[in-house]
Amino acid sequence: MVLYLAVSMSMFFIGAAGVVVRRNPVVVFMCIELMLNAVNLTFLTFARYAPSPLIERADSTWMAGQMMVIFVMAVAAAEVAVGLGIIMAIYRVRANVDVDEMSSMSG
Amino acid sequence: MDINALLPTDMNGWAHLGIVGSLSGLAVLTAIGVVAFNSPIRSALSLVLNFFTLAFIYFSLGAELLGITQIVVYTGAIMVLFLFVIMLLNLSADDPSQYKRDAKPVFAGIIGLVVFGLLATAVLAPLKAINQISAPDRNEFNPIGWGSPQAVGKTLFTGYVWPFEMISLLLLVGIVGSILLARRKVTS
Amino acid sequence: MVQKDLIWLVLGFPLLGWLIQSLFGARIAKSMGKPAAGLISVIAVAAAFAVGLLLTVQLAGLPPEARGIVATAFDWISLWNIRIPVELRIDTLSMTMVLIITGIGSLIHLYSMGYMSEEPEYPRFFSYLNLFVAFMLVLVLGNNLPLLFIGWEGVGLCSYLLIGFWYKDFANSKAANKAFIVNRIGDVGLVIGMFLILVLAFDHQALFKGDARWLSYDVLIPALPEMLHNNGGMATAIALCLFVGACGKSAQFPLYLWLPDAMAGPTPVSALIHAATMVTSGVVLLNRMQVVFAASPTASAIVAIIGCFTAVFAAVIAFGQSDIKKVLAYSTVSQLGFMFIACGVGAYWVGMYHVITHAFFKALLFLGSGAVIHAMAHEQDMRHYGNLRKYIPITFITMVIGWIAIAGVPYTSGWFSKEEILHDAFGNELAVIGGVNVGVAIGFIGFFAALLTAIYMTRMMMLTFWSGEERWKLIPATEHGHHHHEEHHAHGSEHAHHEDHGPDTHGFFFSEEVLHAKHEGDHHDNHHHALDANHKPHEVPATMWIPLVVLSVFSLFGGIWLTDKFGLFGHKGKLLEHWLDNPLNHVASHGGTHGGDHGAHVIPYANLVTTLGYSIGLIGMVLGILYYFGRLPKAEGWDFTKWAPWRRAARDQFAYDQVMVDAAVDGGGAVGNFLWRAFDEKGVDGGVNGIAKTLQFFAGIFRKSIDGFARSYALMMLFGVALFVGYLVFVLMSRGSIQ
Repeated sequence: MVLYLAVSMSMFFIGAAGVVVRRNPVVVFMCIELMLNAVNLTFLTFARYAPSPLIERADSTWMAGQMMVIFVMAVAAAEVAVGLGIIMAIYRVRANVDVDEMSSMSG
Repeated sequence: MDINALLPTDMNGWAHLGIVGSLSGLAVLTAIGVVAFNSPIRSALSLVLNFFTLAFIYFSLGAELLGITQIVVYTGAIMVLFLFVIMLLNLSADDPSQYKRDAKPVFAGIIGLVVFGLLATAVLAPLKAINQISAPDRNEFNPIGWGSPQAVGKTLFTGYVWPFEMISLLLLVGIVGSILLARRKVTS
Repeated sequence: MVQKDLIWLVLGFPLLGWLIQSLFGARIAKSMGKPAAGLISVIAVAAAFAVGLLLTVQLAGLPPEARGIVATAFDWISLWNIRIPVELRIDTLSMTMVLIITGIGSLIHLYSMGYMSEEPEYPRFFSYLNLFVAFMLVLVLGNNLPLLFIGWEGVGLCSYLLIGFWYKDFANSKAANKAFIVNRIGDVGLVIGMFLILVLAFDHQALFKGDARWLSYDVLIPALPEMLHNNGGMATAIALCLFVGACGKSAQFPLYLWLPDAMAGPTPVSALIHAATMVTSGVVLLNRMQVVFAASPTASAIVAIIGCFTAVFAAVIAFGQSDIKKVLAYSTVSQLGFMFIACGVGAYWVGMYHVITHAFFKALLFLGSGAVIHAMAHEQDMRHYGNLRKYIPITFITMVIGWIAIAGVPYTSGWFSKEEILHDAFGNELAVIGGVNVGVAIGFIGFFAALLTAIYMTRMMMLTFWSGEERWKLIPATEHGHHHHEEHHAHGSEHAHHEDHGPDTHGFFFSEEVLHAKHEGDHHDNHHHALDANHKPHEVPATMWIPLVVLSVFSLFGGIWLTDKFGLFGHKGKLLEHWLDNPLNHVASHGGTHGGDHGAHVIPYANLVTTLGYSIGLIGMVLGILYYFGRLPKAEGWDFTKWAPWRRAARDQFAYDQVMVDAAVDGGGAVGNFLWRAFDEKGVDGGVNGIAKTLQFFAGIFRKSIDGFARSYALMMLFGVALFVGYLVFVLMSRGSIQ
């Protein structure tokens, strides 16, 4: 189990670092997807190896992790659709796609 | 060293370690690739590879439906979207020499390493002992398998039907939102 | 049987008079004429005198041990272990002072009706006078030290208001300020003394047997000897602090310099406040707290020495003065010195004796000089007088009586008290400093001062009333306006200095031209005539000479009455002494309080003292008459270069005043400047601004974190995650491990 968790943790933090480092908004988005997938892996790992005893329903105690993964996937999909739509909309207004340039605050 | 201690009990031997290990390594490498490539196309392709690898890791865990879903939804739909956008916007490679040097990468790296280290020592170390699969592959509830479509479908449409419906609403909202965003301004 | 509640009437009448006068006086003066407005005040004080007389007679009917009655009104301050009520004390000392204040006060009020009759702000003057009488009564009647202090401050305030009555002349305002500020310096001493007493009382609470009125005389004074028993240092400290307060009010050496400047006020003010009542507050304080002084020989010696020095110092300065009121002012300072000599050697009742007789003759002299000034068209410089006895006979006769009283002609009132003081100085057993009994030295110096007193008073009388030539006729009859200017300069405070001969010389408020213009207008109404060769001095109206006559009767016979020389009242030789003997002050364990025990023991140089006592006044008068007969000596005329150096120095108070004022003004300015720059600007402002700058600095740092860049926000989120995870790990660690 540790192996899977190590993978997922690495993916998560690499994604997090990527969000901070990269300037291209599309790449930032991709890093966010990376993080979401890392979380999916974590859920599945725990679901398989150490399901939470807190969940009461007898028939789905060990299925909860997979349910969570399904929902995360669905949400990620919706989020990508909307997010990329926003990026396109911004690109129509300003020609540049640099996250830093999108700040209108001064000082 | 007892490699069996590292693997789940229904796998054994160096072969399995080799498969899972290489899959893991590939996942990490491609993750790094997403962040490290200057060109967005390369980042996207790297991410595709990452998702593929993840799907196989899901298979190795026994979650067959989810693995397939990962391939179909993530790599088949989401990454395709990404590639469309990249090509539409004609994004070129970033030129790192153009940018102001700032300290953010350093900070991010440091923080990431610190937290990784913390979690590794505090959380992972005690978890090393768990290498027994707890979720039984077959029982009276799901005779087929833990990650099989029958089992997942049964749980999803009985115990988790409420979240299921709400997710479908969410997807509807997402569709509507995207269409609105993509519309050109109406001038009349 | 004493009807003690009547005492509130004694206090209430002057207060009522003040209220009516200040609220309605102007209206009454306009509708019914000025004398009606003035009569309100006169009646107020006279009514207080009547009630005071009644109470005194009732008090005299009591046996001596019972002559101390307290009338309480309400609690002013009440803390958990100290209580200060508003209470008045009816005993011999306070009733004596009440009679003097209200009696002489009413005479002076009557006199002021005539003196100030041309004054446009007539009601204001009388309201201030009544307020002064009310505060002075609080001072003497109060049964505890805080009430005395209220009266103390109040008379200081009224003194300020009255000295600066003609405030439009800047020099008068300066004189008023000086009086008030120098008084306040003395008050610091009084307050410190009171707090020392409180500290002492706090340490000896058991002595009060549960009575929480620690500062009330009837509780404090019987307990003081016990408290000061082995505490000589504390006794000296308290005594000296109280004496500093007395120095301020009673114009003793370091703090006398306000009194000559106070002559800038109207003459009735000088008579009432600076001769008879306010300046004697110090002596009253010492009489009240005599137990403290009796417990400290060192402090008493210091009191006596300073009193003696002041007596001589002021007497010498009086020789250099050409303004008639200034001579009387320095004479007051000198006589006050005598009173403190008496208190210093332990003969406290003799100090009060001199207070009473001094009140008689000094008030008489001041009022008389006021009459002279009034007759001479407000000219105060004696070099313009001469031979006035022909023109103002009543004033002349009464002033002669005052003169012989102060000079010490045997059997006048002044002679009795002065002789008693010097006699007791020689017999001194209390004032011992550093092992040296200073009594004999003080006695001889005191005789010298008495001699000087006689001489300078004779000088004043000769220059004014005799001297053969009528010097005002030497002034050419000049233009109206020009001479106003001239005489106006003599009207205000006559400092023989370069500065204030007139208004605002520093140009603080008005420019010279504006002030001159104002003055021309002001004096146009007041002085209908100038003092020039054509002037004819006229006698004063009845409201002014009746008080003179009454006071001269007392000056002549007061001594005989108070000492009961001829045994008419059954206390041969000791009437006042027995009257003022307060049961509170009977301290069995310490001698010295009865230092005025006349004839109980033989004093050194007894025969010499007696001879000098009879003759010194007469010798002085003869010397003065001889020197000043018939003429104004050239060495005291208009040409200052002909003056003897010592006399010129005396005229300038031996530069003491100049030095003090400069030091105070410059020193005060320097202190203020330093505090401003160092504390206020650098310290306080620096502190406040420093806080602001620090906040600005930190804000500037934190401001940079919100820069509008999404990536830095993401970094911050990451950082937050790190913190959160760290906390979780910490909790996990502390609980063991995951399971």
